[in-house]
Amino acid sequence: MGSLDSYLPIFVLFVLALAFAGLSVLASRLLAPRRPTAAKEAPYECGIVPTYEPAQRFPVRFYVVAMIYVIFDIEIVFLFPWAVVYGQLGRFGLVEIVVFAASVFFSLLYLLSTGSLDWGPVKRVRPLAGRLERTTASTVRRHGATGTGDEGSGRAA
Amino acid sequence: MIGLESLRGLQGALLGAGGIVLPHIDYTAILPELILLGGMLLLLVVAALSPRRLATEFYATATVGIGIASLVASLVLWKDVVSHGPFTAVAKSLDIDGFAVLFLVLVSCVLIVAPMLAVGYLRREGIEGCEYYVLALISGSGAMFMASANDLVLVFLALEVLSLPLYVLAGFDRRRAASSEAAIKYFVLGAFSSAIFVYGIALTYGATGSTNLGQIAAFLARNVLTSNGVLLGGVALLLCGFAFKIAAVPFHMWSPDVYQGAPTPATGFMAALAKAGGFAALLRVFVTSFPTLRSSWQPVIWVVAILTLVLGASFAVVQRDIKRMLAYSSINHAGFILLGLQAATAQGVAASLYYLFIYAFLVLGSFAVVTLVAGRGDDQHDLSRYRGLARRQPVLAGSFTVLLIAQAGAPFTTGFFSKLYVLQAAVAAHSYALAAVAMGSAAIATFFYLRVVFLMYSGSAPVEAGVSPELVEPGAASLAAPALAMAAPSGQALASGLVAAGGAGVEPAWAKRSGGGSGASGEGDGAEPPGEATTGVPETPLSSSPWTVAGLGICVGATVLFGIWPEPIIEFARLATTIF
Repeated sequence: MGSLDSYLPIFVLFVLALAFAGLSVLASRLLAPRRPTAAKEAPYECGIVPTYEPAQRFPVRFYVVAMIYVIFDIEIVFLFPWAVVYGQLGRFGLVEIVVFAASVFFSLLYLLSTGSLDWGPVKRVRPLAGRLERTTASTVRRHGATGTGDEGSGRAA
Repeated sequence: MIGLESLRGLQGALLGAGGIVLPHIDYTAILPELILLGGMLLLLVVAALSPRRLATEFYATATVGIGIASLVASLVLWKDVVSHGPFTAVAKSLDIDGFAVLFLVLVSCVLIVAPMLAVGYLRREGIEGCEYYVLALISGSGAMFMASANDLVLVFLALEVLSLPLYVLAGFDRRRAASSEAAIKYFVLGAFSSAIFVYGIALTYGATGSTNLGQIAAFLARNVLTSNGVLLGGVALLLCGFAFKIAAVPFHMWSPDVYQGAPTPATGFMAALAKAGGFAALLRVFVTSFPTLRSSWQPVIWVVAILTLVLGASFAVVQRDIKRMLAYSSINHAGFILLGLQAATAQGVAASLYYLFIYAFLVLGSFAVVTLVAGRGDDQHDLSRYRGLARRQPVLAGSFTVLLIAQAGAPFTTGFFSKLYVLQAAVAAHSYALAAVAMGSAAIATFFYLRVVFLMYSGSAPVEAGVSPELVEPGAASLAAPALAMAAPSGQALASGLVAAGGAGVEPAWAKRSGGGSGASGEGDGAEPPGEATTGVPETPLSSSPWTVAGLGICVGATVLFGIWPEPIIEFARLATTIF
C-alpha cells in the first residue's frame, strides 16, 4: 500500500476540516446565549422585509446565453495553456487549436441560426425543431403532465 | 517568494527537461471517428448557413452517407489489422484490433439504419431539423472510441461522448412531458453512474499506478498484491458504471422508464448503441486488464447475469406497454450477453460480440415497428393496439413477427444462433447452472414475444380465440412472411399501405375489442384496462415513408439472411477475438 501513503495528508486535511466544522457548530451551541426573537428567526435577518415572492417565470433565453458563455469560457480555458507552451508545440499545436476553435465557432454559427442571440421580437432565420408557437393555452399547462406513465389521461383532458 | 519558487518547480516538472513530447497521431487509426465528427460539423454548418429550411430527408441522406463512409474506413482498418496485426495508436491510448474494428463496423451499420428509421417519425411529429442526426453522429463517435479505448480515462471520455447526446435524444420531443421526464431521469442517473465510474478509475489507478489497460494488466501480472481491497473496490465501481450503461439488473431501474418516455426511434438507437458501447468497454476492460482477478469478478458477473436474465424476462411478462416490454426484454438480452463475459474465454467473448451485432438490428427494427403502430403523437403503446395488426398491415406485422421470434431465439433467425453461441460458451466454461437459468428465461421470454405475435394475428376474434388451436395457424403462417417481406419489400409494402389506407374508414379491430371491454383474454393479460387505447389516433401505414420501408427491410433482411447463413458474422466475431 506504499503508493497510497501520499494520500495521507489529504486524509488528515479531510479529518481536520470535519473536526473544525463540527467543533464550530458545537462551540457556538455551547457558548452562545440563546435569546431568539422574531426578527432573528427570519430567513433574511437584514434588509427590507419581502412583501411578495419574486416572479417565477423568466425567459429561457437567459439560460441559452449562459450556455453560450460556458462554451466560450471553455475555449478560453483551453487557449491559455496552449498559449503558454505555444513555442514548443509548434505547427502541430497551431493546427490542433485552429481545428478546436473552428468547431467552437461552428457551434456559434448554429446558435446564431437558431436565433439564440436575437433580443428583439422573435424572428428566426431557421425555424427551431418542433412546433413551438406559443399561446396562453399551449404554454401554460394548467394541471398534470401528459404521459407520466398513465397514458391517455393528459391527452383526454 | 516560496510560492513563486514552488510555481517554478511545478512549471519545470510540467514542461520536463526536454520539452513536451508530442504523441504521434496516426490519423488513419481514428479515421472512422474523424469522419463521423467531421460530417457532424459539416451538417451543423450547412444547417446553420442554409437560407431556407432543409428537408429532413436531406439530413438523413447525409447521415447515411457519413455512415457508409465510416463503414468503408472501418473495413479498410479491418484489412490493416488482418494483414499487419493489431496496433496501438495515439500514445497507446487506442487499441486498434479486431475487437475494436468489429464495433466500428457495428456502429457504422447502426448509423446507416437509424436515420432511415427516424425520417418518417421526425416528419410525422413535426420536429425536423439537423439536431437528431447531429446528436446521433456524436453519440456514434463516442461508441467507436469506447470500443477502441485502451485507457480508462479515454473510456470515461468516450462514455460521456456516447451518453450526453443520448440524454438529449431521450428528451428530443419537447412537446411531450414524458420525453423530457425520460431525459431528466436518464441524465441524473447517468451522471451519477459516471461519477461512480470515475471513482472506480481513481481507485484502480491508486492500486496499479496506471490508467492504461495494458499497463494495468502488466502490473497485475508482475505483482501480487498482499491486500488488494482498493483494487477490488475500483473494479467493483467500474462494474457498477458499466452495468448502468448496459442496464444489468441491480442498475436497470432507469431503462424501462427511459425507453418508454423517449421518442421511439431514439429508443431503438439508444438501445442499440449504448448497449454496444457499454459492452465493448466492459468486455475489453475486464478481459484484458483484470484477467488475473478473474476469480474475484466472475462470481459477481454470475450473480448479475442470473438476476438480469430472470428479472428481465419475468417483468416483461406483466407489461401492458410494448415499449416497457421491449425494455425489459432488452434487459433479458443483456443477461445473455453477460454469459459470454462470465465465461471469460475467447469463445465467450466471440459469442457476446455476435449477440451484440445481431441485437442492434433486432432492436432497431422492433422499435421502428412500434413507432409506426403508435401513430401520430407517439404515445399509443398499449399492447391492445397490436390486436389484428396482421389484417391491417400484413407486411408490418410480418416484419414484427420475424423480429420478435428472432428475439425469442427461433431457428432460421439470427436470434437462434446468438443464444446458441452464448449458451455453448457458458457450458464450455462449466457454468451449467447459469446456462440452465438462461434457457429458462428464454422460455419465459418466448411467452411474451409470442403473445404479441398472437395478438397481431388474432384479429377481432372472440376472446377465447387466444388459446384456440386455429390461432396457431396464422402464427405458423407468419413464419413464411419473412420470405415474402424479403423478396419484395417495397412492392409488398406499398400494397399493404393501400390496403391499410382503404381500410381506414372501418373501425379498427382493437377499438372494438377494447370498447367492448370483454374481460381477460386467454393469454393471461387480464389486467387490461378497457377503453384505454381508444383515443382514435390511427397508426401510421408502413408505406408512408420509403425510408422506413428501407430501414426495416435492412433489419428484417439481416435477421433472416444471417439466420440462414450465419457464417460471415460468426467468422467476423471469431477473428475479432483471436486477434485481440
